[in-house]
Amino acid sequence: MSALENAASGGDFLSAGARHWVRFALRRTGQLLVSLWVLITAAFAMIHLIPGDPVRSSLGLTASQELVETTRQNLGLNDPLPLQYWHFLQGLVTGDLGMSITSRLPVAEIVATRFAATAQLALSAFALSVVVAVPIGVAVAVRTRQGRGRVLDLGFAGTSVVLGSIPDFLIGVILVWIFSVSLHLLPVGGRTGLSSYILPVLSLAVGPAAILSRIVRVEMLSVLEADYVRTARAKRLSATRIHLGHALPNAVTASLTLGGLMLSGMVAATVLVETVFAWPGLGSTIVQAILVKDYPLVQGVVLVYGCGVLLVNTLVDVAMTILDPRSAVIR
Amino acid sequence: MDSLKRVLRTPLGVGALSMLGLVFLLAIFAPLLWGEAASETDTAHLLAPPSAEHWVGTDSLGRDLWLRTLVATRLTVLLALGATALGVLLGILLGSAPALLGRRIGRFVTAAVNILVAFPGLLLCLFFAVIFGVGEVGAVFAIGLAGAPTFARLCHTLVAGVQERDFVTASRIAGRSRAYVLFKHILPNIAEPLVVQATIGAGSCLLTFSGLSFLGLGVQSPAFDWGRLMNEGLNRIYLNPLAALAPGLLVITAGLAFNLTGEAIARAFNVETSGSWVTATAAARTAARKVPAAFSAANTVPREVLRVTDLQVGFPGSNPVRGVSFDLRPGEALGIVGESGAGKSLTGLAIAQLIEPPGQVDGEITFLGMPLRPDGGEDQRKLLGTSMALIFQDPMSSFNPARRIGEQLAEISRVHQGMNRRAAWERAVDRLRAVRISDPQRRAGQHPFEFSGGMRQRAMIGMGLMAAPKLLIADEPTTSLDVTVQQQVLDLIDSVREEEQVALILISHDLTLVAERCERILVMYAGRVVEDIPASALAVAQHPYTRLLLAAVPTLATDLDSPLAVIPGSQPDPSTQFSGCAFAPRCPLADDICRTREPLLRNAIPPIDDTRKKPGLGITLKTSRMRLELNLGGKPGSPVHTGQVACWHKGEPLPAPTLIDDDLPDETLAGVGR
Amino acid sequence: MSTLRFENITVRFGSVTAVNDVTLEVPNGAVVGLVGESGSGKTTLARAAVGLAPMQVGRVLLDGVPVSRHGPARQLQMVFQDPYSSLDPRMRIGDTIAEALPEVARAEREGQVNRLLELVHLNPARAKDYPARLSGGQRQRVAIARALAARPAVLVADEITSALDVSIQGSILNLVRTLQRELGLTMLFISHNLAVLRYVAQRVAVMKDGGIVEEGPTAQVLGTPRDPYTKELLAAIPGR
Repeated sequence: MSALENAASGGDFLSAGARHWVRFALRRTGQLLVSLWVLITAAFAMIHLIPGDPVRSSLGLTASQELVETTRQNLGLNDPLPLQYWHFLQGLVTGDLGMSITSRLPVAEIVATRFAATAQLALSAFALSVVVAVPIGVAVAVRTRQGRGRVLDLGFAGTSVVLGSIPDFLIGVILVWIFSVSLHLLPVGGRTGLSSYILPVLSLAVGPAAILSRIVRVEMLSVLEADYVRTARAKRLSATRIHLGHALPNAVTASLTLGGLMLSGMVAATVLVETVFAWPGLGSTIVQAILVKDYPLVQGVVLVYGCGVLLVNTLVDVAMTILDPRSAVIR
Repeated sequence: MDSLKRVLRTPLGVGALSMLGLVFLLAIFAPLLWGEAASETDTAHLLAPPSAEHWVGTDSLGRDLWLRTLVATRLTVLLALGATALGVLLGILLGSAPALLGRRIGRFVTAAVNILVAFPGLLLCLFFAVIFGVGEVGAVFAIGLAGAPTFARLCHTLVAGVQERDFVTASRIAGRSRAYVLFKHILPNIAEPLVVQATIGAGSCLLTFSGLSFLGLGVQSPAFDWGRLMNEGLNRIYLNPLAALAPGLLVITAGLAFNLTGEAIARAFNVETSGSWVTATAAARTAARKVPAAFSAANTVPREVLRVTDLQVGFPGSNPVRGVSFDLRPGEALGIVGESGAGKSLTGLAIAQLIEPPGQVDGEITFLGMPLRPDGGEDQRKLLGTSMALIFQDPMSSFNPARRIGEQLAEISRVHQGMNRRAAWERAVDRLRAVRISDPQRRAGQHPFEFSGGMRQRAMIGMGLMAAPKLLIADEPTTSLDVTVQQQVLDLIDSVREEEQVALILISHDLTLVAERCERILVMYAGRVVEDIPASALAVAQHPYTRLLLAAVPTLATDLDSPLAVIPGSQPDPSTQFSGCAFAPRCPLADDICRTREPLLRNAIPPIDDTRKKPGLGITLKTSRMRLELNLGGKPGSPVHTGQVACWHKGEPLPAPTLIDDDLPDETLAGVGR
Repeated sequence: MSTLRFENITVRFGSVTAVNDVTLEVPNGAVVGLVGESGSGKTTLARAAVGLAPMQVGRVLLDGVPVSRHGPARQLQMVFQDPYSSLDPRMRIGDTIAEALPEVARAEREGQVNRLLELVHLNPARAKDYPARLSGGQRQRVAIARALAARPAVLVADEITSALDVSIQGSILNLVRTLQRELGLTMLFISHNLAVLRYVAQRVAVMKDGGIVEEGPTAQVLGTPRDPYTKELLAAIPGR
């Protein structure tokens, strides 16, 4: 409330709205920095939290003691911890994420070549699920409010629960079986052109779309009960205007928080879906890296994934503040 | 076990629980029945496709894949439950830490949880999988730890919700420890949502675990769970799709079983709180009796603004408005007074045609000569949009939070008067100025949250003035405002009425406030008008309810030596059916006639020269008379009741108020739904 | 019962000063009314008394002895505004009242609870009921009984009638007056309604923007108000 009162008492050179923005920007940046620090430190600590000698377990029991020693030396694992941390941070600033143990290529290079494939996948799936889920959620809400349309309500609830409960990699397997194995319409895997995008994007989008449409429906229903929708009805606006002009923006704002979680969840879900479709992205990279214990590579990919998630979350908060300026004050 | 019964009462509950039961039965018995058969190698049928003998085919060692899938249930379910238990336990610990350890440590824990929760579970899971290593134990820890932040956040939200409530504070003030409060008050009140979330959490743990095993990071050979089997099956999807799909199907089934069970539990407990409204039958509605029109044409000016005849509002299972009739002249101010649940707000909403299905409105409403109906066409919409203005109780929630105040005002002129964006905006600014909002140009560009409560209520009035209103319906317009602001808003309404000749319906629970602002008052009780009285005649009100209501509320003139009047019991619920007078159970004058025959609105009894001389007259009348003299600026002389009263004992003296206990044995909950 | 004294109390939340250097005395056996609009700091002052709001400056004294600044103090009990939030829906009302009793033998407990229920004019058989079976007025009586169970030196009542329907308010105010007369209750009675305070309080303090602008015997403050804000408040009462 203090922000509100200060702002309402009149700005000297900044308008009230601008003050909210400044406060919001400061707080949000602070939050982002803390999260980023936690992420970086966790990625650094990961290698040291692994029981035993990570280099030995990575190179296998057959590797000579000398090789293990040189690798340790190269990775800087023999330095004192604070110094290692310092080097790690220095490396991050200069874009040096270390060397992959197995391929002996710079991690930054591997990540750079694979990043685009994953980002494309996650973003197209997100766009698809929003485009499908929001209209469905709104339409179902309008038709089922206050106990109307019981059949539609039940049908929608059933379908969305079922679709939302199937993990994306399983949807992937089922889609492969239908479209590749049985119908021979689409490629089973790889990244070989536009048609190869269809199945991975679909498998990523179906579950979140089902969940998002449920959320949009619930939010829309509660918004339709709000006092200001009653005000809009008292203004005798048409149903379309009330639903799209007054209710939808608020319902979407409320759904956005979850939409953001969904998008960052999608970023993570690429790990599984990429494995199903042999998609040459970060997901399949990290799985392989974990299996062969290539820890520097794991570290690098975790960092990239984490940063992606933080970026998404920040963007969602900014979008939310634009759509609903009140949230900048309240939160 | 009561709760189990409640879940089983719905088809969803029965279906979900039987599915879950099946999964658990498989988990227990499949390894016992087929454990050995599932590891038997059949070298004659290596990598066989599905056949009558091997329904899903065999693997590279010739083992039957269907049996292996069934046997894998136990490991899958056990691992999922283990991870869930770990996550839920950690989550509850972290989530209730603020309640247990106090503000400072709590804030730190909450901040940490908030950072972790921003990262998707699967990512955390991979992170922990690296640390704990590939394998089933590592995966249990990884999934459990990864799920903990989400659960902690949820738990924290729930705990915080209960913690805010006064009974927790009261317990703390009574000297109870934090731990006592947590276990005795907080946890019991959040048990159900926690169970629901844990159940759904178990479902997602199962899916995540299958995912990890599918990636090769979970269960390792020779052990096998569904994820592992899918992993092995995927490589041969062209040759034998069932090898991957069969375990996949079971994963979906089990995941659904957990999710649906959670859903069913959630619904079972929601139904308890809000379901009765929807499911109750509409049968009760028909019983509502008709009350004749309150006013004859004789004493009305030819063109009344509004005429309401036998208005009834019904919802399935209840009829909160049971026959209201009145009419309203141009510029007249009418107050509608009653306790919560009397039907006064619904009367206002019904007049404004804002009752939505399943609510149903009967009776005739004529506004400016046009009969209104729920499905009224474009003409009606335009008429109401320009000529009828509404103000609601809560100015905080009555404006759309996402849009600028100016836009929300301008919308009326753009939609109903065909103004362009600029002209409508100018009009909005002008109207904000008219309701005395300073710097209207700047204010119009602001969002509702930047307005104070009083300012919002003014803006609301300004919105009503965008066109040329003939009727203003104000439903408790000042109840949520401070007294000094209240006064300003009511003054504003008064001046608008005067300047623009607007009729007013002021709905309030406050008889004194209404008496000050209105010329005429309708007193409502249990959905009916019990007294229709000129404001100046309140002192000689003839309905016992009106008189008791006046005497129950202290004013600056209340006699300090006698107790306030008490109306024992509470107003009947809108769903109750009663014969006779609805007020009879609480009325000190009630007799057998009151309890059997319903009194209709009849003209008030002629005034008596000096009411004070009537024997046995209680303090009630004296009190109101003192207030009245204040109202009239101390003008002497007997006020005259020219309205109507629905009472068999109208005007009879009331017994002097005593300290009556409101602890009646058959008292039902007052119509206060929270 | 004893005298409650607020001495130079200041409460800040972040940069907002909710209560600013307030000194107020509630004499033994008296009901002192505290009036003010929302945001004036009256509720915060009450919460500071029972240890629920952090005091930056000042002390709360009971008969000259400081009340602990950290954590709740049993000698001060509070009754809240919303009777629907102040009783645990999962606890029988008898247990709710018993919870506030000082350590007593189990056998004695029931008798004490019954006595308290009778004191607030409720049927002792109600002890077995859950709050859902009680009306708003009855719940508020239970809340008063719970507060009395702790044998407080002073009772703080925060807007205890404003969430109730008008027909029930009177019975709670009557109860407050009876209890005060019979038990010699010392009480800080907070309300935004001057007419209510006039009916129950011997003295009235008017609060605005975190400070007390006027304090004195009720008749004097209402009859010949000195502060312009008090005059404004009085003028705003409908029916005047």
